[in-house]
Amino acid sequence: MAITSIKNLKEFSTNNERLEGAHLLCPGCAHSMIVRELLNCTDDNLVIATNTGCLEVSTAVYPYTSWDTSWIHIGFENAATAAAGAEAMYKARKRKGTLKDPDAPVKFVAFGGDGSTYDIGFQWISGAIERGHDFTYICLDNENYANTGGQRSSSTPVGAHTSTAQAGRVSYGKKQKKKDIVAIMAAHGAPYVAQLAPNKWKIMAKGFQKALETEGPCFINTVSACTTEWKFNPKDTINIIDLATDSLMFPIYEIINGRELNILYRPKTVVPVEEYLAAQGRYKHLFKPENRHVIDAIQKDINEKWEYLQRREEAKV
Amino acid sequence: MAEKMELNEIEVWDGNQAAAQALRQAQVDVVAAYPITPSTPIVEGYGAFVANGYIDGEFVMVESEHAAMSGCVGAAAAGGRVATATSSQGFMLMIEVLYQASGMRLPIVLNVVNRAIASPLNVRGDHGDMYAGRDSGWIQLDAFNAQEAYDMNLCAFKISEDINVRLPVMVHQDGFTTSHTAQNVRPLSDDEAYAFIGDYKPVDEMLDFSKAVTYGAQTEEDWHFEHKAKQHRALMDSYVVIDRVFEEFEKKTGRKYRRLESYMMDDAEVAIVALGATVETCILAAKELREQEGLKAGVVAPRSIRPFPFNEIREVLANVKAVAALDHSVSMGAMGMLYNEIAGAMLSAQERPLLTNFIYGLGGRDFAVDEAKRIFREQKGHADVGYITTEIQQFSGLRGPKLGFYEMKRS
Amino acid sequence: MKGVLATDRRGMRELGAEEMVGWDEVTQGVVLPSFDQAIGNAAFLKPEERPYSDFSSYTATVASWRVIRPVYNRDICIDCQNCWVWCPDASIISRDKQMLGIDYDHCKGCGVCVEVCPTNPKSLLMFAETETIEEALAKWPEKKKKEK
Repeated sequence: MAITSIKNLKEFSTNNERLEGAHLLCPGCAHSMIVRELLNCTDDNLVIATNTGCLEVSTAVYPYTSWDTSWIHIGFENAATAAAGAEAMYKARKRKGTLKDPDAPVKFVAFGGDGSTYDIGFQWISGAIERGHDFTYICLDNENYANTGGQRSSSTPVGAHTSTAQAGRVSYGKKQKKKDIVAIMAAHGAPYVAQLAPNKWKIMAKGFQKALETEGPCFINTVSACTTEWKFNPKDTINIIDLATDSLMFPIYEIINGRELNILYRPKTVVPVEEYLAAQGRYKHLFKPENRHVIDAIQKDINEKWEYLQRREEAKV
Repeated sequence: MAEKMELNEIEVWDGNQAAAQALRQAQVDVVAAYPITPSTPIVEGYGAFVANGYIDGEFVMVESEHAAMSGCVGAAAAGGRVATATSSQGFMLMIEVLYQASGMRLPIVLNVVNRAIASPLNVRGDHGDMYAGRDSGWIQLDAFNAQEAYDMNLCAFKISEDINVRLPVMVHQDGFTTSHTAQNVRPLSDDEAYAFIGDYKPVDEMLDFSKAVTYGAQTEEDWHFEHKAKQHRALMDSYVVIDRVFEEFEKKTGRKYRRLESYMMDDAEVAIVALGATVETCILAAKELREQEGLKAGVVAPRSIRPFPFNEIREVLANVKAVAALDHSVSMGAMGMLYNEIAGAMLSAQERPLLTNFIYGLGGRDFAVDEAKRIFREQKGHADVGYITTEIQQFSGLRGPKLGFYEMKRS
Repeated sequence: MKGVLATDRRGMRELGAEEMVGWDEVTQGVVLPSFDQAIGNAAFLKPEERPYSDFSSYTATVASWRVIRPVYNRDICIDCQNCWVWCPDASIISRDKQMLGIDYDHCKGCGVCVEVCPTNPKSLLMFAETETIEEALAKWPEKKKKEK
């Protein structure tokens, strides 16, 4: 595989863009930061499938496409299967010798938001991973159905306000925990599963390259801060993601072959989660005295998860 | 290279085996499938051919029918020959993606082994699934027996992949009645069959990396209408290619197919219009009536349900006095689909027959020659008095009090 | 800057201002080709070397989304490429490890580039859309002393 140099940003910046501007994502959206980085991680040809969601409705609205690669969108739930179908066709045609350029290296990638990954497309991804297709699925996790105006998903964290898990006079927002998608996908025995964040560009690029280079199905959950629904100033996207990774709300780690867990980033100073929550409008109500217990519960959960991840890493099981 | 198979001049195949053999001879590149009764043996058959080296393709056993069609769409956009099979509930789960396949103008052959739709759950044959697909933008061809299931599959690939069509095609056959009944089938040799279909010719393929293409863009009110209109035009115009492929097929095999089949219609006074294996029942009934009672009965059967043979219906029914449209599915709350399509066509004809509608055989209820005869005779009764003496929509073979709807308005 | 942006297709149209062709002229299957000719893998061609089709959003502009815009000060920039890697709109023009400027056809004015700029003073700052580059550069702040 033709991976590109990620030694430093200067080298990385010599890559030629394959996602064009004048797409319709919100100013400051992290989705396109993540997608651009994936595209810049390799010089291979790409076949990209995308579930319905912000990325899809913003990059392919007739008569425009922002993609300089092969790209397909079918429905809300089936990008993983579209990529799998294309990958199967690639194998069949390669064997039969009907490809125009049989030696051209190609990678198959599917993108989806948390709505299509954690919820409506869950089964399709599980199926494609179980079948062992050689592709990488990347979830752009912004913890809500942003494309339809900010409804809860099973990725929305406890305490967040969404339009279908509202904070109100007698409610502190979402009551249920965020689904642990990384653990679920790792439990499939996928060769490479990771949770990555665009603020740590080099760790993310390394993870992307590892996934693209690994034969078989890989899954990566990426943190995609949503300026519109998390309610922060668009200029602060990277600042918010810094708080997410440094408060350990989004620990960055990989799981290899469903077993070996490696923590990829340890903050020098761990930030109290309160700072992360305070920076976003969706958690504003948690700072009322009667909701203080929710912040404490979130912090407790983070501490326990971090402890768990470290113990699993040490145990090397 | 896939190994070839020596076939007998006459094979004894059921409809499923016939379809599976056609997929093998077409050397389908990718089958993404999820099994469902009664279509399962088609994809099992493809899988067995792959496992034994008779096909070089990829057999992708997905986790649902929705995923099956999704995988087919991804594979077809990647520029190769694609097919699958389903029935009933599986078809219903696929429906979202059926529209996407046709909207993207992707050639895919879907064998639909017709079966009733729940609730209540039922594994037997009726046309509930076929009818649910009629607005999906697919060409729909109907096979009435195992031979035709084989023949229609070969034709389907050629039609679907034609550069002027580029639309997916369903090949329908009746669950169990056709799919599980062994009959004599005369196949082509592997070489002849493949030569008839030809190599797949990719268009806008995602695996041609010299030219990036985007599939599945969104269109809003500024563009959606134009795209749908263009697609409708392609489906309406596809009859030209269907006719040409049927002609080529006749030259090769001597077996003649038309988008609207008609039997004993030259002098017919009364007619039944039907689909599926029932067509053969009605032909038997018409023959017997002609021989035994001198009743000039004929049978009409759309081979192509979509595009609907509107002109041909007008022509063939022009001089018929009374016609019964037999619907093997109930379009809840309205007249049957065949009745409505025929009525729509005949409304602009100069001479209009008396037209009645029978709902029959739901969930696999038997429809026998005697009942077909009774329906012919009833049409003769209408013809003789010059009006419809019964209710316009009736149920055939239903227990309980007689069920029917609407009467003819007479001045 | 001119060399890397100047193609005749550049920022040609506001979104929605494209020619509204009829049903007989829309592309078959809603397929959109990104380029007019077979070019091979776009990864090996710089944007200015690519024959973009009218369907590529590269040819369109979202400049009207902005009310403020980043202005770039070459004199202070250290070419770290932070702005390049985090720009959501592929609007930081870098060639041969050098930051050349901002693509104002595609920049939406989010301000992320300014936030991630590490120099002191910053080499990118937000100014009102109405201010000229010259006016903005003339107002550039001095180096800030470290707060103790």
